[in-house]
Amino acid sequence: MTERELLEQCRAGDPQARHELYTATSDRVYRLLLRMTGNADDAFDLAQETYLKAFAAVDRFDGRATLKTWLYRIAVNEALQFLRSARHEVARQRDQAVGDRLDDATDVVAVRLDMGAALAALSPDDRAILLLRYQEDLDYRAIADAIGCPAGTVASRLNRARERLRGKLAPAYETREESGEVRHPK
Amino acid sequence: MASMACDTIREQLGALIDGELSAGERAALESHLRLCPDCAVEHDALTKLAAGLAECAPVTVPETLWPAIESALDARRSVRTGWFARRHAWRPVQRFWAVAASVLFVVGLGIVATSLLSSTTQSQAATIDYNELLSSITIDPAGAFRSFVKRYQGTEIAAADAARLAPELDFAIPSALPNGFERRAVYRVRFGSSPGIAAEYVRGANEYLVTIFHPPVHREDYGTHKDYPCVVGEHRGHAVEVGGWRLVHLTDPTTCHCVLSQLDPQTELPAVLSAVAPHSPSGGEHGH
Repeated sequence: MTERELLEQCRAGDPQARHELYTATSDRVYRLLLRMTGNADDAFDLAQETYLKAFAAVDRFDGRATLKTWLYRIAVNEALQFLRSARHEVARQRDQAVGDRLDDATDVVAVRLDMGAALAALSPDDRAILLLRYQEDLDYRAIADAIGCPAGTVASRLNRARERLRGKLAPAYETREESGEVRHPK
Repeated sequence: MASMACDTIREQLGALIDGELSAGERAALESHLRLCPDCAVEHDALTKLAAGLAECAPVTVPETLWPAIESALDARRSVRTGWFARRHAWRPVQRFWAVAASVLFVVGLGIVATSLLSSTTQSQAATIDYNELLSSITIDPAGAFRSFVKRYQGTEIAAADAARLAPELDFAIPSALPNGFERRAVYRVRFGSSPGIAAEYVRGANEYLVTIFHPPVHREDYGTHKDYPCVVGEHRGHAVEVGGWRLVHLTDPTTCHCVLSQLDPQTELPAVLSAVAPHSPSGGEHGH
């Protein structure tokens, strides 16, 4: 079944088509939500809500983005809403405390984090854009569709997110410049 | 060709690694990298960072995810009744005559149509709508509960009759719950063709608590309120929070036990759950 046929069947409420859509996309959606939240139960609930909203809104899907990108957009919105909600306040304060400790650290090497922890310590927006690019392998246009930003801003957003991530990572990811070995030519 | 400033180069290295540059842009950057060891080092660091980000442990989608989605779709479909839910894309003149005909039809059949629809809805009610209860609970808890009971054809009964009137359910409605709640009233309710039991408790002048028991085959609709897995003491279930109120439901093979209260889930609620669901396994999965 082509993507267009699948969508038509989903609009008609065909349970098999819905299941096929789910089967084709659930790996990506669940993985993204798990990486965003760091919690399997939260990822489960958010994935469920993502698909319920997708099936409810399939009539309004206009085909400008791909089906995959459209689903990512719904999933990212669900995750960002959840992570910004009062229910997630405790986790956010924990992440902020980690970030503050890193910012205040005099011995930078001693408090570097591994990749997973460093990602978790980023803001949800930074985490989302990095995951969409490097784990979901979306190009810049698809990322723009998924997070709802102008395509021309994706490169700079990624640059900033990468820099913030590098600021939290172990020395293995620092450049010779950061370690003080390098000077740019004048 | 003049070399581009290193700062400008560095801003584009991410896009180079991500494969987002045109052939011309890529050639210019690669030419600069051959000549500038510092930018080459930065390029290597970003490449390493990208590779590190791309590494991730495999993730397995839970097998229960699709069934949960299907159940929720079924529940939402059963809330919307019959042909009233269909949208007809009629032209205005068709719509006018359709409306006129509908008015005459309804006036003509009136009471009969209403009573038929009412009994049909109730007998087919596979979904228990908690949304109305939850939406009013912070304003008037007792009123919200009584509306809920009334909606589900509740009749007040003697506590001693509860087990006999709902023999399929496994529950307890003691005259007093731990931490000082006293039973005020017990009701037999009907969820579709299945009996359920509801009880209200009070503590002091105005602390209120509700227990509701029903067969686990009935789905629960919480409207826009979100339902989350929870652990309360040794009980695993799901919870919905509205204001300072928490509706916790535990499900065992025969009964869904629901407790709506403002009790602290760490200190007071576990004992209450144990009191009303004495045989509920501590690791019970939510049945919906």
